[in-house]
Amino acid sequence: MRRRALLGAALLAAPALAQAAPKVVVIGGGFGGATAARALHRLGVAVTLVERDATYLSCPFSNAVIAGLREMEAQRFGYDGLRREGIAVVLQAARTVEARQVVLADGATLPFDRLVMAPGIALRPDAIPGLDTEVMPHAWRAGPQTLLLRRQLEAMEDGGLVVLSAPANPYRCPPGPYERASLIAHHLKTRKPRSKLILLDAKDTFSKQKLFEEAWAALYPGLLEWVPLSSGGKVVEVDAAARVVRTEFGEHQAAVANIIPPQSAGRIAQAAGLTDRSGWCPVDPVSFESRQRAGVHLIGDAIIAGAMPKSAFAANAQARVCAEAVAALLRGEAPAPPKLINTCYSLVEPGYGISIAGVYQPANGLLADVPGAGGVSALGAPAATRAAEAGYAEDWFRTVTADAFG
Amino acid sequence: MARALINLPRTARRGEVIEIRTLIQHVMETGYRPGADGVVVPRDIITRFTCLYNNEEIFAAELAPAIAANPFLSFSTVATESGILAFTWTGDNGFEQTETRSLTVT
Amino acid sequence: MRICVGLSLLVALPAAAAPPPGASSCAGCHGGGGMPVLAGQPAEAIAGTMLAYKAGRGSPTVMDRIARGFTEEEIRAIAAWVSAPR
Repeated sequence: MRRRALLGAALLAAPALAQAAPKVVVIGGGFGGATAARALHRLGVAVTLVERDATYLSCPFSNAVIAGLREMEAQRFGYDGLRREGIAVVLQAARTVEARQVVLADGATLPFDRLVMAPGIALRPDAIPGLDTEVMPHAWRAGPQTLLLRRQLEAMEDGGLVVLSAPANPYRCPPGPYERASLIAHHLKTRKPRSKLILLDAKDTFSKQKLFEEAWAALYPGLLEWVPLSSGGKVVEVDAAARVVRTEFGEHQAAVANIIPPQSAGRIAQAAGLTDRSGWCPVDPVSFESRQRAGVHLIGDAIIAGAMPKSAFAANAQARVCAEAVAALLRGEAPAPPKLINTCYSLVEPGYGISIAGVYQPANGLLADVPGAGGVSALGAPAATRAAEAGYAEDWFRTVTADAFG
Repeated sequence: MARALINLPRTARRGEVIEIRTLIQHVMETGYRPGADGVVVPRDIITRFTCLYNNEEIFAAELAPAIAANPFLSFSTVATESGILAFTWTGDNGFEQTETRSLTVT
Repeated sequence: MRICVGLSLLVALPAAAAPPPGASSCAGCHGGGGMPVLAGQPAEAIAGTMLAYKAGRGSPTVMDRIARGFTEEEIRAIAAWVSAPR
């Protein structure tokens, strides 16, 4: 008991000691941050959630919005559920992180004993010379960009060329560009059948590749063409005004161009000095504590998670593990090594779902695949299986949004 | 025939520095890697690449087992006169492939 | 003084039973959005189903791929934890 008390005292800097209950600030109200805030609150921690926007727009299922299969309002979630539970929600951007306090946009400060950050991604459109995202939307953060791309597709004349480009790894939602290509192809097939989609790729392999290729051959032959890196798929520059997309070996005149640029950890993670030279945040795989700054934990798309992908499911799972670790550390205990699961569904047309799953554990300082576990849906599965997985995708979305936002 | 991709401008001004990009689809098997049956897969790589500009060698590269599949090479030259650029990849197992492109210099 | 305050802080955060490895990930799907809700189900039934999937029996779409990532002991611990109403 005496040892624990000493440990606890050593753990906490002087400003925090004025409060009886340990204070944790969570920055970012997406799937990771909102889940972490609720999980910490359930563990008896006084939590303040800092989020820039009054409502959150979900990226999962936003490809269906682009393709006209779903309305944007179905993607919107607020923070009233968190407030009702007694979680303080501060609707402001975080400007920076100082020693044991967060500085908000208006200059106010929030002290913390431990900080959890779920800052998501920053897009790097400047990595592609000529890119103007108001003309060639990325639509990689749900919101106005999603609707801009949808309007461009709706306004396009039949017979137009849609060019979509996918970045090199790592980036948010590895199967996302391929689900998007599939659902845009579905839109073209059903509304503008003389049109074509070219998917330019800065890599030669991708998530659920065989399943996507099986579906594309069956559903979109001659309509959807994938151009890998080794066939000249890497975009090197664009002429946004002329809607020309240039690769290392050629160029495409697009009617609609959706350029998904390279990414890095969210701005606040960079401002707080939590990123390494890769632009992403190295963390301890047991506690999710930053390797660059003690007392600060990171989860979700911003982190270097080893084998674990940047997905909403992963962020939700990491948030719960991180909350347990933070609570243990606040008690002066060492967090136990976790296992985490990821499951990710993609739609290739309405009623046709495919999945990838993985189980992860800490190994060599990262999260590694548990050998023998995980993998993708079976190739050649019957339509009933594809329909079941499409249904499970919706079940998961209902569950995870309720889990994160109440 | 392997698929080869070449990108250079069709025309250039005399004295202009032009960039040339090439990529050839090739496994670049290192010769160190055991296959599914546990037996080492024999080496199969591109060993040399050359670019001739009107029969004069302007660029050459020696390739080694550490170079990844589908080797991409980018280099530049000065456009001196109209003519033909010939790109040749040679490698293990008698591999040899030549592609040509014309350049008009104004 | 510091030690006293530190002590009160530690007391302020009672240790609840932490989830066994892997258990907290289940809530992403099994929370009432359409897939089976696990809280309140018999732990033995949950463990039996997971162990069958791990052994290649039954016809799940994704749970076999997940079950193979856990030992029998881990599966039984997860089943006990997720079956408890909370």
